[in-house]
Amino acid sequence: MANQKNIYKPLRARLTEVIEESPLIKTFVLVPDEEFSFRTGQFIELSVDGIGEAPFTPSSSPLVTDKLEVTVMKTGYVTDYMHKMKPGVFMGIRGPYGRGYPVDSYSGKEVLILGGGCGLAPIRSLLYSLEHVKDKLERVILCYGSKTPADCIYKPLFQRLNNTEKFEAYRTVDKADEEWKESVGVVTNLLNSIKVNIKNSVAVVCGPPVMMKFGTIRLLEMGYEDDQIYLSMEKNMSCGLGKCGHCMLGEFFVCKDGPVFTYKELKDTPDIWK
Amino acid sequence: MHYLSIDKEEWDHTLEKLLLSHNVFAPVNNDYSQDYELITAESIPEITYNKPKPATPLKAFFLPVRENVTVSRASDKPRIIIGIPNCDIQALGLLDEIYLDTDFDDLFYRSRRENTILIASDCFGIQEHCHCTSYGIKPFSSEKADLAVAQMNGQIIIRVLSGPGDRFINTFPHLVPVTDKNIITAIEREHKATEKLLKDKNKGLPDYFETGLLVNDAGKKIWEKYSLKCVSCGACTAICPTCTCFLLIDKPGFEKIKQMDACQYPGFQLVAGGEDPLSELPSRFRNRYLCKYVWKPARFSSIACTGCGRCIEACIGKINKNELFMELV
Repeated sequence: MANQKNIYKPLRARLTEVIEESPLIKTFVLVPDEEFSFRTGQFIELSVDGIGEAPFTPSSSPLVTDKLEVTVMKTGYVTDYMHKMKPGVFMGIRGPYGRGYPVDSYSGKEVLILGGGCGLAPIRSLLYSLEHVKDKLERVILCYGSKTPADCIYKPLFQRLNNTEKFEAYRTVDKADEEWKESVGVVTNLLNSIKVNIKNSVAVVCGPPVMMKFGTIRLLEMGYEDDQIYLSMEKNMSCGLGKCGHCMLGEFFVCKDGPVFTYKELKDTPDIWK
Repeated sequence: MHYLSIDKEEWDHTLEKLLLSHNVFAPVNNDYSQDYELITAESIPEITYNKPKPATPLKAFFLPVRENVTVSRASDKPRIIIGIPNCDIQALGLLDEIYLDTDFDDLFYRSRRENTILIASDCFGIQEHCHCTSYGIKPFSSEKADLAVAQMNGQIIIRVLSGPGDRFINTFPHLVPVTDKNIITAIEREHKATEKLLKDKNKGLPDYFETGLLVNDAGKKIWEKYSLKCVSCGACTAICPTCTCFLLIDKPGFEKIKQMDACQYPGFQLVAGGEDPLSELPSRFRNRYLCKYVWKPARFSSIACTGCGRCIEACIGKINKNELFMELV
């Protein structure tokens, strides 16, 4: 048994930096003890020693293998602990797990991305991957919504994307402050002024369930086909191995069959937005 | 399929010798029915044969309720489990598909599986809620176990079902092929009689496939009605031979405890953001049915309910799933 891989045992990773993205969101930079690679959209199980483990999709580039970044909203038991952590401590990583974004199949297409709140974390990783293959892409449009300007994460990212050929990035907030000069309203409002060649496009949606639901509905209204819409599903992925049952969504184990699904794959499954 | 036989006394004597090198588990009678016990030289004569299922499902031998899965296990003594009903043998199919999956092989499950000789026992007779034949399962094993045994006329009659079973049984002395056709006829008569009892008892109960269709189409009201007496205790899932869900609990040193869990417990699907698709009791209750009769069959080739009826026996609210299905028909 000693020579075979124990699927439950985490790999140790040193926390080297904690970046504050917003009052509730921080990015944790981790250097694993061994080289660690993942495909964009796949997730890891990240452990806080003795406290708990939770699933996160890395927000860093899959092309970087000596470290990875995980962007985490303070929203529960494990993440409360994480937000108190300082660089230098060790964390545990299992994975990578699941099926990520099929970036190769986006070649020659316009990629429309809808992100909400901390859902921008997996999208940032996807954007790094898309930037890497931008010569093969037609266009990439990012529409991002957050509650307030203070909740907007990755502020430098938007500036960089808007200075990158073929990329454009738009932001909106539910509630603006005096300094906010961009859009106000839900993220789907941004789609009103965007012209996309839908036939030659794919759409990616990642965010809170309510945003995923209304984002998908809006994309369908725009004319996107069910198999052109990619959803990153949020479930209680506990083992990551397709065994423990916590993330079951109909017949799917979200941890193994997803977390990225096309809407076509899920649309007949009950309660997908819950 | 060929039959072998051995005198019951000789069988018991050989089991006693095997106790030196193996842990032997087998059902013995208790105050309520019968259940597996670790057999000693003294308890060998108490082993029951030909009786319907022991109280504990077979999964308990392969999926402990609680286990540290980050430390290496010391090698166990090889195990022999005698007296397994076919409903439990068939249930192992789903466990194998989940835990010996080619992507993520669970070494803890595998080592126990490879370390165990499975000796099935034919059921001569039924318990109140047995309904294996409704789901296409016979009350005797002809595959997936290593051996199948029945007691008849002072002899143990053996059917060899696997290569490891063949190698194992060939170490037994005084084993002879059954030449007396009357013995085989008598066993087959018992098989048929048990099947008839099951069929008569469960007349009108939909088969596994049809149950899936009924469950899938069932409206909210039936789940609300039957879950009224459910207290989310999880007894149905704990006792089910195919329910395998678990939770990983973190301990210092990045150790993880794997503990059996159940979709019937509140919070099973709760995510950190607060969403919980199974927050209401009727949806939690319904989830078990959808999982067993609709979702697992869509994904796995093994059956996810083998008709053992333990969930009906174990329910403190006296909820009978078969009554629910009959109402849906």
